[in-house]
Amino acid sequence: MEASVLHFFEWLWGPYWSTLWAWFKPVWPLIWVIMKIVAILVPLLLGVAYMTYAERKILGFMHVRIGPNRVGPLGLLQPIADGLKLFFKEVILPTKADPALYFMAPALAMAPAVAVWAVVPFFDGVVLANLDAGVLFLLAVSSLGVYGVIIAGWASNSKYPFLGSIRSAAQMVSYEVAMGLALVCVLMVSNSLNLTDIVHAQGRGIFADWGVGALSWNWLPLWPVFLVYLISGVAETNRAPFDVVEGESEIVAGHMVEYSGMAFAMFFLAEYANMILVAAMVTVFFLGGWLSPVGFLPDGLPWMLAKMSLMLFLFLWLRATFPRYRYDQIMRLGWKVFVPVCLIWIPVVGVWMMSPFNIWE
Amino acid sequence: MDLKTIIFYVFAALLIFAALRVITARNPVHAALYLVLAFFNAGGLWLTLQAEFLAITLVMVYVGAVMVLFLFVIMMLDIDIKRLRQGFWRNMPLAATLGVLMVAEMALVLSTDYFGPVAFPGTKMGADYSNTRELGRLLFTDYVYPFELASIILLVAIIAAVVLTLRRRKDVKHLDPVQQVAVKHSDRLRVLQMPAEKEGE
Amino acid sequence: MLENYFPVLVFVVVGMAFGCMPILLGWLVSPHRPDSEKLSPFECGFEPFEDARTKFDVRYYLIAILFILFDLEIAFLFPWATIFKEITATPEVKLFGFAEMLVFIGVLVIGYVYAWVKGALDWE
Repeated sequence: MEASVLHFFEWLWGPYWSTLWAWFKPVWPLIWVIMKIVAILVPLLLGVAYMTYAERKILGFMHVRIGPNRVGPLGLLQPIADGLKLFFKEVILPTKADPALYFMAPALAMAPAVAVWAVVPFFDGVVLANLDAGVLFLLAVSSLGVYGVIIAGWASNSKYPFLGSIRSAAQMVSYEVAMGLALVCVLMVSNSLNLTDIVHAQGRGIFADWGVGALSWNWLPLWPVFLVYLISGVAETNRAPFDVVEGESEIVAGHMVEYSGMAFAMFFLAEYANMILVAAMVTVFFLGGWLSPVGFLPDGLPWMLAKMSLMLFLFLWLRATFPRYRYDQIMRLGWKVFVPVCLIWIPVVGVWMMSPFNIWE
Repeated sequence: MDLKTIIFYVFAALLIFAALRVITARNPVHAALYLVLAFFNAGGLWLTLQAEFLAITLVMVYVGAVMVLFLFVIMMLDIDIKRLRQGFWRNMPLAATLGVLMVAEMALVLSTDYFGPVAFPGTKMGADYSNTRELGRLLFTDYVYPFELASIILLVAIIAAVVLTLRRRKDVKHLDPVQQVAVKHSDRLRVLQMPAEKEGE
Repeated sequence: MLENYFPVLVFVVVGMAFGCMPILLGWLVSPHRPDSEKLSPFECGFEPFEDARTKFDVRYYLIAILFILFDLEIAFLFPWATIFKEITATPEVKLFGFAEMLVFIGVLVIGYVYAWVKGALDWE
């Protein structure tokens, strides 16, 4: 890959290449990494933009409406129009706010949502940083998302944002416990903290040998944990039906009330980037990543994208179907249902792995 | 100077800057956020020592959890900075003495051969070396006893936290979700048979 | 191992830049027509009566403390889970490796049950 890119540059610059290369050689690794980062970020941003479109369109169809259909054919340019509009809107700095922190908060919400993608494997070997402790990195960086929310609420110095941010922070940390405990089960059966290894571990087993790999992925043997992780993922990203943070009937829009223009857009983008991330994580941990569900079809990136799309559709479907949970119900679900389920399932998996019925040999 | 050294100095400089700002920032929330930055850079330094697991766990536990609690507490307490600063000069001599003592002790310990670069030769790890795995092996073989003690400490912490902070409010109207779910329409709604009213009366 | 983290470092820097740049650009490009009503904190049509940073329920701290403790537990469970397959593969430590984690989880379950019974996990 790297060689062919270099070859392309050589062809592009022709006779000047050798002089250029002499200049660029010391910083080439950096340039190469940045090129790879761009290759991840640009599709991610397009995904985020069209996720908003897909959300409005799909919700529209579920409500028997049409959804956006004015800007461009089928309304396809709607996200771009929205983005441009937000870009040229006034960014308000409330009088009582703490200016530095007020502007830092959206950046702090966005940065972890983006930086986590460094460890997400898209295909065998197609990953920016194949970290040995990938799962840990993922958990650590995604736990930083809470700072954007807390700081936004505090820096705005306004009541609704403050209440919303505290609510949301408590909710996010509660579901992080459930997510972490769910991942322990995944680690037990996959014997590695490396995300690529976790995907590979799902491709082995009796069912995979029979040609129905879909049944040997983690979702089936770890079914309760899969549900816990999936629902915690929805709650962690503050999506419906767990979106009390911006429950508009109670606290207007939570921590985002005072934000406008591009600063608001960053929170919005971060939320959608996190959604796509959770979809990718569920795919990697439980749905076999890029593995093909049946033996006679080859593995590949399309499978990964298809599974992620399925998960994202599920997110939207949940939003259209369920009414918003009450806050006490959310906390009860996290602490009193999900934590015990995981705490029970860890020894169950342990006993299962030590018994003769172990399917993860 | 290779890249690793440059990165070390960047992390170290940022760490010192952040640590200084923690004690000089006037706003406690700012101080807490500088502490977050300090933890980050400390994590980065540990990473340059190949302590992968510890570095990421530092970020996960301290930045992701402990500092969230700190921020909660600081945000709620409404700390009056003026009152806090009142005793500053009175306590200064004692604090300075203690500080100098600590610096001297650390300098004495760290300047010995035990902590010199000779005592810690950089070990080259193989490509499949996993820091977490090695830690796991040690933790669950040689250090089982401290490991189980850690669980006792966590237990004590849970109980202490519950005992110290839990205050049941008397004026709260509580809803039991089980009862809510178990409710039947006959509990709430009574259908009455009434004779139809005649029109025009 | 460290060379694996180089892209991560770059990505974190790019991520921070990516978080800051749009806000900065938006601030530069967008109009600025300040107005005392526009810049006042959002309330329901009132002037705010008091400072927004008020005390809130102690329950939130309890949740945060419990989160720290469970996060630590997860940090301990991760290395164990990673080598669990190796533990089960070696007959002499098989039961021992499993039992010690059962003890660890068991002790924490005591704390969890205590918090539950005392009502620390209830949200009145």
